[in-house]
Formats: sequence, C-alpha cells, structure tokens
Amino acid sequence: MYRIRFHGRGGQGMKTASRIIGTALFLAGYEVQDAPRYGAERRGAPIFAYVRADRRSINERGVIDRPDLVAVADDSLVALPAAGVRQGIDSHTVLLLHGRTPGAAWQERLNLAGPVFTLAPAAHVEAGHASAARVVGAVARLLGVVDRDTLIAAIRRELAGLGDSELAANTRDALAAYDELADQHGAVAEGGAVVSRDFLPPRWIELGLDVAALAAPAIHAPATSTAVQTGLWRTVRPVIDHARCNRCWWLCSTFCPESAIAVGGDRVPVIDYDHCKGCLVCVTQCPTHAIDVEPEEEGTPEGGRS
Amino acid sequence: MTEIKSLRDLPARHLLGAGTPMCGGCGGLEALHQVYDLLGEKTVFVNAAGCMTLLAVYPFTPFRGSWLYTAMASAPAGAQGVRDALDILRGQGRITPEEDLQVVVLTGDGSAYGMGLAATSGAMDRGLDFLYLCYDNEGYGNTGQQYSAATPHGAHTATSRGALGYPGYKKDLFSIWAAHRPAYVATVSPAHPVDLARKIETARTRQGPRLVIALSPCPTGWDYDPAETVAIGKLAVECGAWPLKEYRDGRVEHTRVPKKRRPVVEYLERQGRFRHLFHPVRQDALLAEIQARVDGYWAGATATGD
Ligand SMILES: Cc1ncc(C[n+]2csc(CCOP(=O)(O)OP(=O)(O)O)c2C)c(N)n1
Ligand code: SF4
Ligand code: SF4
Ligand code: SF4
Ligand SMILES: [Mg+2]
Repeated sequence: MYRIRFHGRGGQGMKTASRIIGTALFLAGYEVQDAPRYGAERRGAPIFAYVRADRRSINERGVIDRPDLVAVADDSLVALPAAGVRQGIDSHTVLLLHGRTPGAAWQERLNLAGPVFTLAPAAHVEAGHASAARVVGAVARLLGVVDRDTLIAAIRRELAGLGDSELAANTRDALAAYDELADQHGAVAEGGAVVSRDFLPPRWIELGLDVAALAAPAIHAPATSTAVQTGLWRTVRPVIDHARCNRCWWLCSTFCPESAIAVGGDRVPVIDYDHCKGCLVCVTQCPTHAIDVEPEEEGTPEGGRS
Repeated sequence: MTEIKSLRDLPARHLLGAGTPMCGGCGGLEALHQVYDLLGEKTVFVNAAGCMTLLAVYPFTPFRGSWLYTAMASAPAGAQGVRDALDILRGQGRITPEEDLQVVVLTGDGSAYGMGLAATSGAMDRGLDFLYLCYDNEGYGNTGQQYSAATPHGAHTATSRGALGYPGYKKDLFSIWAAHRPAYVATVSPAHPVDLARKIETARTRQGPRLVIALSPCPTGWDYDPAETVAIGKLAVECGAWPLKEYRDGRVEHTRVPKKRRPVVEYLERQGRFRHLFHPVRQDALLAEIQARVDGYWAGATATGD
C-alpha cells in the first residue's frame, strides 16, 4: 500500500494536490483514500492531507503515521514541530521538499537515512501559491505508477472548474516537474501491511468526574489567545524602518487585523512577531512607505524574534 | 471618551488578544478589534456559528470577558437570556451598575441576513437592550463561502458557479432593521476607522436595540491577496457599493457621500470572485446592470436629501 502525506500552508493548494494524486492513482486502478486534515487554522497555517492507495481493499483508517512519501509545499514547515512533517519518517520514507535548499543539506540537518529530493521553485511561480502543481508532478514521478496521460487526466478532472488557462498552466507546471525528476522514477516503495499489534497502546490517564464548576471549560484569564504563536504562519515579514516612519497616527496599528502592532506613548509602532501573520495590510497602508517586506528566514522555528 | 474627530482620537491600546485562528488579512477581525477597542472589557459576546466562533476555542480566547456560543439562528435570543440574567443580578443588588455588562451579539451575514433574522426582529420588538455587530463577508465563510442573502449579484461562490455567478441580489438588511425603528442602525467599514468609531460611540451610549453591519472584506472567500483588505474596503465605499449611513430617531443619514463615485468595475476587478465577469469574455450587460443599481441607489438617496 502507498501511504503519502502532503504538507503545506492553508492556501498553498496541498489539499488539491492530494486530491489530484488520489484521482490519478484511482484512474491507474488503485483503491484510494484521500482526506485533508486541518483544524481551526486558516490561510497560512500548517495543514496536511493524505492519500492511501492499494490494489486490494484498504482497511486502515485515520491519519498516516508511517508514510512512504512525504511531500512538502513549503520547506519552512520542516522546522515547525506543529506542522508534523517529520512524524513517523523512517529510512524507507522518501521526503520531497519544495524549496531551494539541496536534499543532501536536509539529510544532514535532520539526520535522515532516507532519500530527500528537492524541487526548486519555478522562476514564474510566486512564493508558495502555485507550488502545488509542481509537487503533484513530482509525486506522480516518484511513485512511478502514474503515467503522463493519467496525470493529465487527473489534473483535468480536479481543476476543470478553474477554466482553461488555469488548467493549462497547472498541467504545464506539473508535467515540467514530472520530467525534471525522470531519474527518480519509482523511487517510492510501497509500505507493508500494518497490523494492530505493532501499534503502541495509548497511555490512558484516568480522569475522575468533576463537578460542573471545575469541569466546564471556563477560562479564568483575559486574552489567553496570545499564548498561540500565529507568527508561525508567516512566510514574509513586515519590518518597520523607523527612520522613514513619521509616527503618523498609528494607521498601521489600527488597520492590522491581528492587533499585532502596538504603539507606545512615544508613538513608535512595534510589531509583535510572535503573532503577526504576515498579511502585509500594514505595508500597503503606511502613508510614508516605511514598512519593508522581507522573506521569513528559511526554517526559522520561532515566530521570528529578531 | 472624547468626541472622535480624527485618527488621533482612536484608541492606541488594543484590547482584543492576538493569536486568533482567523485568516491573515481578515476584514471581519479588523472590524472586531476596532469595535472592541471602543466598547472595552465590560462586554459579553453572544456569538452565532461562523468564522468568529473559532475565536474562543478552549482554553484560548481573545476576549477579556465572557463569550457565549449559540446556534446560527439564535444569537439575539441568547442575548435576551444574558440581558435578563444581568438585570436580575442588578435588581437583587448582586452586581453594581458599574459591574453591569454591555451585551453584544456577534454574527456573520449568514445569521444576520438569513437564519437569525426572525430572532433579531423579535429582539427589536421586545426593545432588548443590546448591540448587534454583523461582520458581513457576503457569504458562509466558515464553511467555504457558499452564498448567503448578503452575497452581491454576480459574485462567484461555492454554490454559485455559473457563468454569471450568484443570480440573487444582496438583501437590504439596513432598511429591514431600520423599519423596526430600533434605537440605532448603522453600516460601517473597518477601512474607514474614524467613521466606524463615531458610530460605535453612538451605539455604545444609546439604550435599546442597536445594530451595526460592518462590510468585512474576506481574502479567502473573495479571493484576493490579504494585503488588499483595506484597499478593497475603501473601494467599496468610494464606488458607492457600500454606503456608509446611520438610522436614528426615525431618520436615515449618509455619513459619507462619495463626491465622485469610482466606477464599480474598479472594485469588482480586484476580486477573484468577480473574475468571470471579465475573463474569458467581459460580461458587459451584467457589469452595466451592477453599475446601474449602484447609480439608482444614490439617485434615490440624494433625492430624499440623505
Ligand atoms: C443551523 C445551522 N446550519 C448550518 C450550520 C453550519 N455552519 C456553520 S458556520 C456557517 C456559515 C455561517 O456564515 P456567516 O454567518 O456568514 O458567518 P461566516 O462563516 O461568514 O463568518 C454554517 C453554514 C450551522 N452551524 N447551523
Ligand atoms: S503583516 Fe502587518 S498588518 Fe498583517 S498581521 Fe503583521 S503586523 Fe499586522
Ligand atoms: S503607518 Fe507607517 S508612518 Fe504610520 S506609524 Fe505605522 S509605520 Fe509609522
Ligand atoms: S474566511 Fe474570511 S471572514 Fe472567515 S476568517 Fe477567513 S478571512 Fe475572515
Ligand atoms: Mg459570512
């Protein structure tokens, strides 16, 4: 059985990528499971999707924890524990990363025994967004059981609704990646059957029944949401140049949807990088163009304490 | 609070906690933080199902006070219960007038324009002392932007995929609410924070049913770059598609009449949800109809001296 996990950020198209690969494997004669997994997070937050495919009927359910192939749309996710990219990877797992850092460097950094392939962003592909089509092409090639025509048919099935030009552009990007990885044809091996006795038993904790006053989900402190580091969602960061900021009446701070720009009594605005999601609303609204955009450091694990 | 004349009178301190799971660039969150800064901590939010339900997911909340979750149709009924409870506590002397709370209903347009309209009508009939904030992202955002009764004519939604988009027309909720003759009704835009702040101040200091609709650009559902949230909000007002107005004491007044209205296409063409009106063929008749409706609105509004 093939067990494939796709990781990306909300909005990067990995849910669709997993659907296309699921459809391609179905057209190639496999029984397929395909499911996206995302919680309350939104655009920019880490999400994943997964596909199982087998010639026989599939009895496994739930999230894949022993992947044969892990495809990642955005290699800044690798360093985020919350993204779970490295979950269950072993020496047989193939890792496919969309980004500029070479595979060997990742193998060394992460101390990985299994193969790592990287897919450089295409020149015309803007950061993140259109990477999904390239990942689709590369995954099809690494599996080795989806031929060109099946790949084209699957993309058409899933993307026909977007109109002819989007369909053509995605097909072109996917086929380009398919061709680039020709040497790695069939690099992914199907994983064996998993039997229930191989699973570790859960470590249950006994919780007694509490009275409602204790058991009810009451929150006893204000604004506890600040414990959530939404700065991890960011792919680009706004940076205020205090020489150019004329300390206007905190336009950036009023417009920032996240309340992530504080202005003190001195009227100097300060961005809270633990929570700034990188939407760049502040950049577009600053009257003196004092806020620059910088790419988020590759693999910066923290929300970016500068 | 001093009278709000310009940006410098807006609060520099933000009360809404960061770290919420709303999308980067969410116009609804931008509106909520501006409103919350003015209403302050002595508020209790009654929130119908929608994107904002995810604001308070145990143990995290961006609020500094209580928050109650209701079904989509029932937020004003929930507000009645909370108001009654507060009145009983006050009547029994168990809370002082200073400890009393402002009851705020927070819902999307799906509730406000549709499922929750009867409950809102009933609350107004009963003269319930509450403030209703509707963040209007013109669709069922939380479930993938299906159309709602607030969806504008011609927009693409998950359930309006035809060549001409949504065939219905955006419901005139402002007039429906105003026809009940409540204490206050207003439309606002977080891209116009001074106008918004003046209206929230008016609403805050009045008694009885006070209802506010905030046009809330939604990068995910409207399909545009999150950085554009404020620019699109401004265009909506400048082209006349989103009139800023208020109702009180039996009169409707426009608080901002665009001197020379920008063509509506400038607003539409920046949003992916209207892309099909421009590509592959320009839908001239439909675009002219949309423009004519806006022109007709303002011809009527100016004729009645608003
Ligand atoms: C009675 C009922 N029907 C359907 C749903 C599923 N549902 C949850 S949120 C939502 C969309 C709400 O739309 P809106 O009020 O505009 O808020 P938004 O999601 O746009 O923030 C729907 C349909 C529900 N919770 N209750
Ligand atoms: S990019 Fe700017 S506006 Fe957006 S969350 Fe960060 S600080 Fe706020
Ligand atoms: S909007 Fe620009 S000029 Fe105004 S405070 Fe922010 S950074 Fe400074
Ligand atoms: S879908 Fe739209 S309204 Fe909902 S959180 Fe995202 S941007 Fe905000
Ligand atoms: Mg909505």
